[in-house]
Amino acid sequence: MNTEFVQNWFSQVKKGTLSYIILIILNEKEYYGYELVQEIKIHTTLEVAEGTLYPLLNRLKTDGIVESKWIEQESGIPRKYYTLTADGRETLREMKKIWLNLGSAINKIQK
Amino acid sequence: MKKLSFTTPTAQKIYNDYFNRVSRCTRTLPEDDQREIMMEVNSHIYEATLAATPQTEVDILVDALESFGAPEVVLQALVADKKVKQATRTFNPRHVIQALYLNISNGVGFVLFGVIYLLIVAFGTLIVFKLIYPQHTGLFIREGHSFAFGFISELPGGLTELLGNWFIPVVAVLMVVFYFLNTLLFRLLKRK
Repeated sequence: MNTEFVQNWFSQVKKGTLSYIILIILNEKEYYGYELVQEIKIHTTLEVAEGTLYPLLNRLKTDGIVESKWIEQESGIPRKYYTLTADGRETLREMKKIWLNLGSAINKIQK
Repeated sequence: MKKLSFTTPTAQKIYNDYFNRVSRCTRTLPEDDQREIMMEVNSHIYEATLAATPQTEVDILVDALESFGAPEVVLQALVADKKVKQATRTFNPRHVIQALYLNISNGVGFVLFGVIYLLIVAFGTLIVFKLIYPQHTGLFIREGHSFAFGFISELPGGLTELLGNWFIPVVAVLMVVFYFLNTLLFRLLKRK
C-alpha cells in the first residue's frame, strides 16, 4: 500500500468535509468555538489543530452561511456563538443531497 | 480584552508569550479585526483550560496551547482572508501588497494580480522617466519593424520615437485600464 498517497488523499477528504461536518453540527443548535471543536472530536476521528477551525468559520461567515455573536459570561471572558443562517440551512440541504448521491454512486461502483 | 491570570509565574509567562505571538501575527490587520481574533483565541484557551483534567497549571495551559496550534500556522489563513477583505475595501497600496504577500500561495490568480500591479507601478515610473529623460523614454520604432516601449539608456541609430508628448497621457490611460482590470480580478478572486 502507498501510505503517503492514502495520507494525502485523507488529508484532502478531511479538508473537503470539515465544512460539511460543521454545518451538520450547527444545524442542531448554536455552539461556541471550543465547544464546536469538542463536538467534532466526539463524532469524528478527524485530528485537526483546534485553531484551524477559526479560519474556516470566518469563511463560512463571509459567505453568509453562519453568523456569530459574542455573549458575555460571568467569568468576564465572553464566548462567541456560531449559528446557521437561513442561507446556511438551505446550503446544508443541498450539500446533504450531493453527499447522498456521491455515497450511493461510490457504493454502486464498489460492488 | 480580559486576559487570563495564572498563579504560577511560568504559566503567566507562557500565556503572555503566546499572545505576543498572536499579536505579531495579526498586527497588519485593522484594530477591530486584531481585537476580534485575540478575543476568540483567548476565549478558546480559557474554555480549554477550564475543561482540562486536573494537572499542574503549566501542563494544562501548555496542552491547551498545543491543541490550538502555533498561531503563525493556524491563524495564517484567517489573517490572509481578513487582509484581502481590508485591501478590497480600501485599495490602499500597502494593504494590497500585504494581502498579496499573505495570499501568494493561493494560486495563479494572485500571482497575475501581482504582475499587473507591478506593471502599474512600472508605468508610473515611466512617466517620471519621461519627465527627466524625454529623449530616452517613449515608444520607439527601428526601421519600421522592431518596437520598444519604455526607457532606453543608450539610443542606437535609426530609432524613431512615435508618441512624443503623448507618451505621458497614453501611459496614464494604460495605468487606469490596468488598475480597473486588477480591481475586477481582485473582486473575482475574493468571491472565489
